[in-house]
Amino acid sequence: MSTTIIETGGLTRNYGDICALKPLDLKVPEGEWLSVMGHSGSGKSTLLNLLGGLDRPSNGSLRVGGEDMQGLTEDGLARFRREFVGIIFQQHHLIPYLTAVENVMMAQYFHSVPDEAEARLALERVGLGHRLKNRPSELSGGEQQRVCIARAIINSPKLLLGDEPTGNLDHKSTLMVMELLKELRAEERFTIVMVTHNPEVAAWGDRTIYLDDGILVREERTRS
Amino acid sequence: MVLAKLAPHLLSWAGIVLAMGRGFSGRRSVVAAGAIVGFPLGVAGACLLSRAYPGDFSFAIIRDIVGGSFLLLWGGAVAAIYSSTVREFPRSWGERLANSPFCAGAVALSSGMIAGAISACRLVGTYNTLPPFLLLALAASILALAALAVERALAASFPVSHSGLMASVVALLLFSASSIIRLDLFSPLTMKLMKFSHDFVHQFFESMLIPDHLFIRTYLWGYIGLLFGNGVGFWGALILWFTPAVLVALAIQWERLPSVAHIRQGAQRRRLLATGIRARRFRLVIPVLAMVVLAAAVYRSRFPSVEYWDPKPLPISASPSGDIFIPKKGDVDLEDGKLHKYLFKQGGREARFFVLMTPAGKLTVDLDACAICKPDGYGQAEGTVICYYCKTLIPLETVGQPGGCNPIPLPFTEKEDGVHIDGLTLLNMWGTNAQSTARVKGGGK
Repeated sequence: MSTTIIETGGLTRNYGDICALKPLDLKVPEGEWLSVMGHSGSGKSTLLNLLGGLDRPSNGSLRVGGEDMQGLTEDGLARFRREFVGIIFQQHHLIPYLTAVENVMMAQYFHSVPDEAEARLALERVGLGHRLKNRPSELSGGEQQRVCIARAIINSPKLLLGDEPTGNLDHKSTLMVMELLKELRAEERFTIVMVTHNPEVAAWGDRTIYLDDGILVREERTRS
Repeated sequence: MVLAKLAPHLLSWAGIVLAMGRGFSGRRSVVAAGAIVGFPLGVAGACLLSRAYPGDFSFAIIRDIVGGSFLLLWGGAVAAIYSSTVREFPRSWGERLANSPFCAGAVALSSGMIAGAISACRLVGTYNTLPPFLLLALAASILALAALAVERALAASFPVSHSGLMASVVALLLFSASSIIRLDLFSPLTMKLMKFSHDFVHQFFESMLIPDHLFIRTYLWGYIGLLFGNGVGFWGALILWFTPAVLVALAIQWERLPSVAHIRQGAQRRRLLATGIRARRFRLVIPVLAMVVLAAAVYRSRFPSVEYWDPKPLPISASPSGDIFIPKKGDVDLEDGKLHKYLFKQGGREARFFVLMTPAGKLTVDLDACAICKPDGYGQAEGTVICYYCKTLIPLETVGQPGGCNPIPLPFTEKEDGVHIDGLTLLNMWGTNAQSTARVKGGGK
């Protein structure tokens, strides 16, 4: 029986009068690929930010990897983000004046110490061995997103969070990125929580939950 | 007032206990016991010593012990740098010894004794009753316990290596000693180096390795002359003073990081490396702080907070027969134990001298200059006179004896009502001694 990596109980997030996430009960077993779907403003990114330690809940309980997120200090949250989570954003957020390998090394630097050889290997794993010294502006959208994946996995996270990672990509690049994530997940055995608008992308996961106005309205298992 | 005088000593003591508590973190109770027993023992030792040997001898012994701890730091620093650079260093027995309760107790006890003796020296001569010394010991014990409590509250990720501990303890002892001019080590070190360089050049010259020949150009002597400057002693002493702490810092910086080659997962490997690097960086804090404390000790040595008795030379003249007479009880009281300076001028020549009553109750008349240094003169403080040029302390008991940096004694006649000095002899002696040393290059005031 797999252990639960994410467990929420009545998880709520308010921004002033606006309730972005209404009491949410959710369990994610270790190793699962969970897709989160919903309209804009449904609370998907809010949930992701809470899971990644980028934001704090207003109410309810949230345990990620056995850590009570509400009990963590700012330093504890920073450590959690550094060592436990990898995040892939839609907008890449690569540093424009650094090369691909340097962008990956930056994540190593904030985690512990940079290791160029390891960063090169990570980029080779995502098929960018020939693009090590290129800056983000010299890479295609799909390639940039693969750099982001290399950056996200370089510190061996237990939880990989994706905030519409294929939102800006064409169909071919989307397939390539999803295939890559599938391979890496098989090798590294991390848990994935991915927010998406695209049902095709959501179908890559083991389970999909649907949020509407901050409420979990439906969930379905996409693969046995 | 007394508390203000004792403040540097007590602060140093608190720092020493804090460093020992962290350096022997598993042996805090042994450290506490050693410190609380050691300090009063040191106070008692200094009191007994000063009673048995009044004068400079007791101070000299304590100064030598502090000097011994500095030499020990040198040895520790060299060993640390050796062990950090040599791959196969037999560290097991040394580490076992350093981590033993015996070592923690011995370090705490001996540091306490030295710190206690230094602090007691501040009171010796001023207080002759027991209560101030008891209060000092009590205050030090309370401070030791407080320092250990503070140490417990410090973050666990702030380790102190054994070499760092040694550097910090010795630096704080030197700082404490530098607050008492008779225990200060930096000035004697400066002076010894300066004299060494002078002797070296003399020996070099006398063994004809520098021939006194026309072909030796003047500019060469200009360079050799640099060795006679005051700066040689000061900068040389600075190098000797700071080198052990620098070596300890380098030894920590060069320490090998934990082996991570066997760890396959990159993130875990890097995390372990980062932890090693961070711990090494934290261990560097103590030697760096030790350097700051050593710098403070140099500052106190160069600019001591004690007030010198530095009287302005009173003009004096001789009778037609050339006799200078100074009454014992005139405008000044020659027998008050203070330095009384006079300036004698005759026929375009002048000479400075002083009259002093030694602690033995004997009057002495001396030139305000020695046979070695530039004639910057002497001041008086804390049972000594000090040569303003080389900062050498001359115990009052030895003033009147010739040699070294002592003031040059003048022949005089003591009568019931005053002292008589021959003016011509005075001018001649000043001319032959002081005016030749006045040509010493560089430095001076």
